[in-house]
Amino acid sequence: MPRFIVSYVKVIDYLSEKFGRLAMYLIFVMIGVLLLDAVTRNIINIPLSWCIEMAQFTITAYYIVGGPYSMQLDSHVRMDLLYSRFSLKNRARLDCFTALFLVIYLVCLLIGAISSTMYAIEYDQHKFSQWNPSMVPIKLIMVFGIALMLLQSISIFFKDLAKARGTELS
Amino acid sequence: MSYEAIAIFMFISMMLMLLTGQRVFAAIGVVASLAALLLWGESAVEMPFNAAFKLFNWYPLLTLPLFIYMGYILSESGIADDLYGMFHVWMGGLKGGLAVGTILLMVVISAMNGLSVAGMAIGATIALPEMLKRGYDKIMITGVIQAGSSLGILVPPSVVLVLYGMIARQPVSQLWLAGAIPGLMMAAMFIIYIVVRCHFQPHLGPTVAKAERDMPMREKLKLLRAGITPFLIFFFMTGLFIMGVTSLVESSAVGATAATVAALVKRRLNRKVMEETIRKTLAISCMFMWVILAALGFGAVFDGIGAARAIESLFITNWNLTPWEVLIMMQLSYLVMGMFLDDTAMLVIVAPLYVPLVKLLGFDPIWYGVLYTITCQIAYMTPPFGYNLFLMRAMAPPEISLMDIYRSIVPFVMVMTLALVLVMVFPQIAMWLPEYVRPK
Repeated sequence: MPRFIVSYVKVIDYLSEKFGRLAMYLIFVMIGVLLLDAVTRNIINIPLSWCIEMAQFTITAYYIVGGPYSMQLDSHVRMDLLYSRFSLKNRARLDCFTALFLVIYLVCLLIGAISSTMYAIEYDQHKFSQWNPSMVPIKLIMVFGIALMLLQSISIFFKDLAKARGTELS
Repeated sequence: MSYEAIAIFMFISMMLMLLTGQRVFAAIGVVASLAALLLWGESAVEMPFNAAFKLFNWYPLLTLPLFIYMGYILSESGIADDLYGMFHVWMGGLKGGLAVGTILLMVVISAMNGLSVAGMAIGATIALPEMLKRGYDKIMITGVIQAGSSLGILVPPSVVLVLYGMIARQPVSQLWLAGAIPGLMMAAMFIIYIVVRCHFQPHLGPTVAKAERDMPMREKLKLLRAGITPFLIFFFMTGLFIMGVTSLVESSAVGATAATVAALVKRRLNRKVMEETIRKTLAISCMFMWVILAALGFGAVFDGIGAARAIESLFITNWNLTPWEVLIMMQLSYLVMGMFLDDTAMLVIVAPLYVPLVKLLGFDPIWYGVLYTITCQIAYMTPPFGYNLFLMRAMAPPEISLMDIYRSIVPFVMVMTLALVLVMVFPQIAMWLPEYVRPK
C-alpha cells in the first residue's frame, strides 16, 4: 500500500476514535438534562421547556459523531446468513465491493446535510418552539459527523483491500 | 412500472443487498437513496438526510441509549446475584424449582429494563452455572434462559414497543400497559410447562439438596430483601411514568440514575466497569440509530409511492383475502423473516408497510403492537438469525453445543406461539389494562 494511504488510515482512525470517545460521554449529558427537567417540574414547580430539546440535540450529536467510532469497533450488525460461512479473506474481498453501498449512501446523506445546513444559515433557521434555538449548530455537527463517517468508511475500505490482498494495514 | 411492482422491486433489492453481508444500515440506505434518485430525480437527493429530522423529532427514542446503559449497569451491579440467591432458597424444594426461579428472576429483570440483552447476560452468568452444578438437563437450562430473557421486550418497560410506537404513532404508555398482562401470562405458561415437564421427568430438574435450602425462617425472610432494590427501581421508573409524574424519557433517565446509584451503593462501580459500560452503550446505540436512520429513509420512499395502499389492494382485491387472513399472513411472514433478520431491522423495514395496513383493515394498532412484540420474541430465538441464540452461543460453556441450543428452544417456541394465538383470539388479554387505565 502506498504510504499516503497508510497515513490516511492512521489519521482518520485517530480522529474517529477521539471524537467518538468524546461523544461517548454525552450519555451523561442526556441523563443530566432529563433529570433536571423531571426535578425542576415536579419538585420546585418550574417547567424548563428547553430540556427535552437539549436532549434531542444531544442524542443527534451522540449517534452521528459516535457513528465513525462504532464502525471502527465493528458493532454494526450484518445479516451474516452467508457472510459468516466465508473465510476472513473472502469476507474482506466481498466488503471491498459492497463498500460501494456504504459510500453511495453516505455521499447522499452528506449532500443532503450540506444543502440543509446552507439553507439553515441563509435563512437563519430556528426550531419552532418556546425555546426557539438556532438549527445551525446541530446541522454543522451533523455535517461534520457524516463527513467523518464517510472518511472512516473509506479507511475501512483500504483496510479490507489490504486484507483481501493478504496483508495487514496499520 | 406499477407502484406495487416498484414496492416489491425495492423490497427484493434490499433483501439481496442484505444477503451480501454488508452492514445492515448501508444496505437499506443505499436502496432508499438510489430509489429516491431514480423515482424523483436529483431533487430527491436530500431524502435520506431528512429522515434524520424525523428521528430527531421523535424524542421517545431518547430512551434507547438510556435503557442500553441501564442494562449494562444492572448486570454489573450485583442486584441479580442477590435475587437469584433468594429464588434459589425459596423455590429449590420444587422439582424444576431453579428453572422456575430463573423465569421469575427474568420477570423482575424485565420489569427494570426494556431489552433482552440484560436478562440474557444475567441468566448465562448467574443462573446457568448454578443449574448445571445441580444436575439440571442442559437443554432445559438453555431453553429456560433464552425464553425467560425474551420477556424483557414484552414486560414494560420495553424498547421494542417504544420503536413500534414510533412507527405506528401510538402512545407508548398504552403500549407498555398492553404488554404487561400478556408478559405475565407468558411467564406463567413457561412456569406451568417447566413444573409439568419436571413432574413427569424429574431428572430434568432435580430438587436442591435439603441441607442447602434448610435455614431458619428468619434467614429465609431476610433473603426477601433482595427484592427491595429492583422494586424501588421499578417504582421510580415505570411507576412514576404510569402515574404521570415523569414523562417517558424522563423516567428512563430516572431508571438509569437509580441503577447507577444501586451499583454505587453495592460498591461494584469502578473506572473499568464504567468505561466498558459507556463504550458498549455508544456502540450498540449507534448501531440501532443508524439502522433506524436508513430505514426511515426507506420508509419515506415507500410512503412516497403509496406502498401501503398498493400492498393492501394486492392482498384484498387481487388475492381476495379477508382481514384476518391478511393478519395471519403478516404474522407468518414475520416469523419467517425473523429467522433471517435482526428484529430491529425487521421492525423498521416491515412495520412501516404493515402498520398502516393494520389500521386500514380496522384492527387496533395497540393490540397489534403486542402481537408484533411476541412475534419478535419468537424471532429472537429461532435459528439461524436470533440475538438470543448468538448470545447463548457466546456465553454458554463448551459442553453445551449449538445443537443443544437449537433443540432447547423448541418447546418454548411452542408455548410462545400458543401465547400469540391466545392474544390474537382474546384481544382482551392485552387490551384490558390499557383500556382500564386510559383517561376518559
